[in-house]
Amino acid sequence: MKKVLIKGKGICKSFSGVQVLDHVDIDIFEGDFTVIMGASGAGKSTLLYALSGMDDITGGDVEFKEKKISNLQENKMAQLRAEEFGFVFQQTHLVSNLTLLENVAVAGYACRTKNIKNVRERAVQILSQMHVNRAKERLPHQVSGGEAQRAAIARAVINHPALIFADEPTGALNKANSEEVLELMTELNRNGQSILMVTHDIRSAVHGNRILYLEDGKILEELDLNVYGEDDRKTRETKVSDWLSSLRW
Amino acid sequence: MSYKILLGANLKRHRGGLTGIFILTLLVAAAIGTVLTVWSNSGVYIQNEMNRAGFGELTAWVSGVPDTKGLAKDIEELPEVERVETQSLVFSNYEVNGQESDSEGQLIDFGSQDGRYRFFMDDLSGYRKEAPEILPGEVYVSPSMVSMFDVQIGDEITFPVARAGKNVSFTVKGFYEDPFMGSSMIGMKGFLICEADRKGILDILHNAGIDALARDGAMLHIFSGSDNMTVSELNGIINENTELPQSTEFVHSRDAVEGFMLILQNAFSGLLLAFAAILLFVVMAVLAHSISSTVESDYVNMGILKTVGYTSAALQKLQLLQYLIGIISAMVCGLLLTVPLRGIVSSMTLTTTGVLMPTALPFVGVVLSFVLILLVLTGFIALCTGKIGRVTPMKAIRGETRKVRFHVGNAVSAFGRGIYFRLAFRQLIAGKRRYVGAVVVAALLVFFASLIGRIDTWLGEDGKGMMDAFNPADHDIGVQVFGNLTAEETETIVRSYTDITDTYQLAMPGVTVNGVDYTANVISEPERFHILEGKTCMAEDEIVLTEFVAADFGVSIGDMVTVRGDSGSGEYIVSGIYSCANDMGGNVGMSREGYLRIGKDNPHIWCCHYFLADSSRNMEIAEKLEAAYGGDVHVHENTWPGLFGIISAMQALVVFMYGMVVIFILIITVMTGSRILSAEQKDFGIYKAIGFQTKVLRLTFALRFGMAAVIGSVIGTAFAALLTDPLVSGMMKLAGISNFASAASVRTVLIPAGVVILLFTGFAYLAAGRMKRLDLSILISGQ
Repeated sequence: MKKVLIKGKGICKSFSGVQVLDHVDIDIFEGDFTVIMGASGAGKSTLLYALSGMDDITGGDVEFKEKKISNLQENKMAQLRAEEFGFVFQQTHLVSNLTLLENVAVAGYACRTKNIKNVRERAVQILSQMHVNRAKERLPHQVSGGEAQRAAIARAVINHPALIFADEPTGALNKANSEEVLELMTELNRNGQSILMVTHDIRSAVHGNRILYLEDGKILEELDLNVYGEDDRKTRETKVSDWLSSLRW
Repeated sequence: MSYKILLGANLKRHRGGLTGIFILTLLVAAAIGTVLTVWSNSGVYIQNEMNRAGFGELTAWVSGVPDTKGLAKDIEELPEVERVETQSLVFSNYEVNGQESDSEGQLIDFGSQDGRYRFFMDDLSGYRKEAPEILPGEVYVSPSMVSMFDVQIGDEITFPVARAGKNVSFTVKGFYEDPFMGSSMIGMKGFLICEADRKGILDILHNAGIDALARDGAMLHIFSGSDNMTVSELNGIINENTELPQSTEFVHSRDAVEGFMLILQNAFSGLLLAFAAILLFVVMAVLAHSISSTVESDYVNMGILKTVGYTSAALQKLQLLQYLIGIISAMVCGLLLTVPLRGIVSSMTLTTTGVLMPTALPFVGVVLSFVLILLVLTGFIALCTGKIGRVTPMKAIRGETRKVRFHVGNAVSAFGRGIYFRLAFRQLIAGKRRYVGAVVVAALLVFFASLIGRIDTWLGEDGKGMMDAFNPADHDIGVQVFGNLTAEETETIVRSYTDITDTYQLAMPGVTVNGVDYTANVISEPERFHILEGKTCMAEDEIVLTEFVAADFGVSIGDMVTVRGDSGSGEYIVSGIYSCANDMGGNVGMSREGYLRIGKDNPHIWCCHYFLADSSRNMEIAEKLEAAYGGDVHVHENTWPGLFGIISAMQALVVFMYGMVVIFILIITVMTGSRILSAEQKDFGIYKAIGFQTKVLRLTFALRFGMAAVIGSVIGTAFAALLTDPLVSGMMKLAGISNFASAASVRTVLIPAGVVILLFTGFAYLAAGRMKRLDLSILISGQ
């Protein structure tokens, strides 16, 4: 029996009277690489940010490790983001005046409950693992999109979070860079890292082991990819494609 | 039309920054308008009033003259003299509200002088329509007595006219304007009484004989008959050809008196004008930052406008116009604000300056100064907006200029301990251009605050610095005995309170030097003089001069001067230049032996100056001596009632200055902070997303400003240390003070810098409050 990391119960979110999320019930399990798919405007990113506490919800509850986190105090939420969550955005969202290394290290220092003595060394090590060692002393605008995004992933994992939230992490990258980033995420998941990713790209989605389909603010269907071999990328793509077609995507 | 639309849009978009510049310029304009009003009116007014009241080029105060009318006639008969006007008076010390006067008062018979003086309403809000009738027992005084002795209507002023308790008391009935001795900077004060009272006093003096303490006298207002003659030359001719020197108490030129009357106005107007100039530089620093930020934020729009055919010149003109609208409207409002301010300043300064300065706005002067400022600012804006020419449409649209230009090698890259401080430092370095304005503003404000602090420190809490400048030599208390009383008797009382650690004697007789009247500071221990150059006058044929007297005669160390006293004259070698600001620096220093070559000795001319083991008991000792010996003793501490006026004006200036500093820093921090917050909104979102709390981000944001202020403060403090003495000494010399030397202290270093740093940090922390409302959805794709 898998352990539930995040539980969303009846999550509602509306913008200016328009209901974007409509009583969504969702469980995110430990060790899973969960992917949320859906058409543009279906509410994928909104759901991601609602679950991560990055955005307020207008109804329902969100629990993390069986503790309610919706409407958590700002400092508690900040602590949770520092210690338990990691974020990877479509736009890399690295601090523009910090080097890649500093961007990663700063996240390490933000986590006050973990040992900060070796943050810099850890940051160097993680960046090395992410193959951005050469660019670590450069500023975000001085590196390629792929390098920046890999640094962003390094930032997300430096505190060994329980869950990484990834919002279209390859949306702004070319094919080669996208593949590198997705491989990195898959590798992380293989090593036990839980990931929740939003994407509308099939080739990205097949890296996950569980796909949820969102439409009109509700989760419509779920596809389990565990049954297919991790390396059988072709089959996984076909299955996902067929599944999406059945949902008239 | 398109310009109108664009201008309207720009004004709306940048209304925050423009409002800040409007307020800053308004404050500068109002300050300059007010200071110019005070400055232009005060000089002219004093001159006009002296003319109207009938004061000549030279005024001699005389006493003990057997025939005053005859003396006046002798002087009038000189071809160099046009006419002489006489005012009868009685010289006497006085006591009011428990304080004994430092200088003698002059009881002036108002009887037939209707029209010479103007009288104030009781609440000092303006002038009375008609001069009042002064009844026996009543006295009218200068409003500066309010700041000097806290005098109010109904208070009693006592004049010890003769020994054995022959005191005469008057009740203060009201205030009059004295353009001649009214300022709190002038120790001698006029008291208007009726003819009957003056006659009564003269009767007491006549009957008292040698017990008389007061003296019958007069003021001789001498009008020069030649335009080509200096006052010193006129003084010399009169002294040579009449018996005036035998009865002169002191002589002052019209210019010297005018200088005395205007010291406060000029000094503080000068300081305020300097402060306004500093604030103008601050406005320019803020403008530079605002323009830089505006151009940066409008870069894409400018690129787009260029693609549709707008030229760089047209876009530059738009930027210029939007700032000029703010500046010109601020100047107009500043001019309007000057109207109530000048009245407030005039009434506020009445009790220190003694005169109600007119508030006529020097419209042409103010407008010209505003036009000059406007031209400077216009040129400055044109210079700052020059970078618009470098905007190429595609570069702008691609947003290339918004990339952070930052050299990694210069960065502090090691985080860890002190993460918030290091992060703030890093952000400061990375966005250094944005903080240049804050650094410059902090430097300018700290420079001025430190400069004022240095003057204030020199002045000292009790005005000791000023007193030392006016005294030829230091002391704690001075005691002068009269009649049969001996110094030994008074010393016994002094010793009953505290030990006397040292003592010397000082007399201040009148002498002529090369024919011109001066006060001589005759001292028993010449080594105590404050020597600036050369050596003191140890030998009996040596004399020391102030640098003003030396300059008047064009003599220097080693030259000879002729000095005449009441028993003869002699040649003296100028052995040194010393410092003593008495009589605007118009005095000389001699040794006791040197003076006795030309002057008569008399035990009553000597004042014993004491240094006490416990100088805090000065007041008690003075009270005890006065209670024990009454009119037989004159005690003076190392203070002077006019000092309170200076100290309180200084305090008012410090309060005003820090008030302005608070307003300026608030506006600058909010303006700069808002722009930085807007520009870094996404970065703050990222920090929040990775777990930084809002309060931490606010703290790092505030720290950046704090650090910028630290840099500025160090620069400002260093400049103040380097420039205060040359700048302020020049101003002090106008008041006859040549020994100004500032020193570092808590008030000059820590307080100005600390206040500015705290204000920048605090206001930045407050301005960063909007981070609390930062919505992290800013990071969501596509938003």
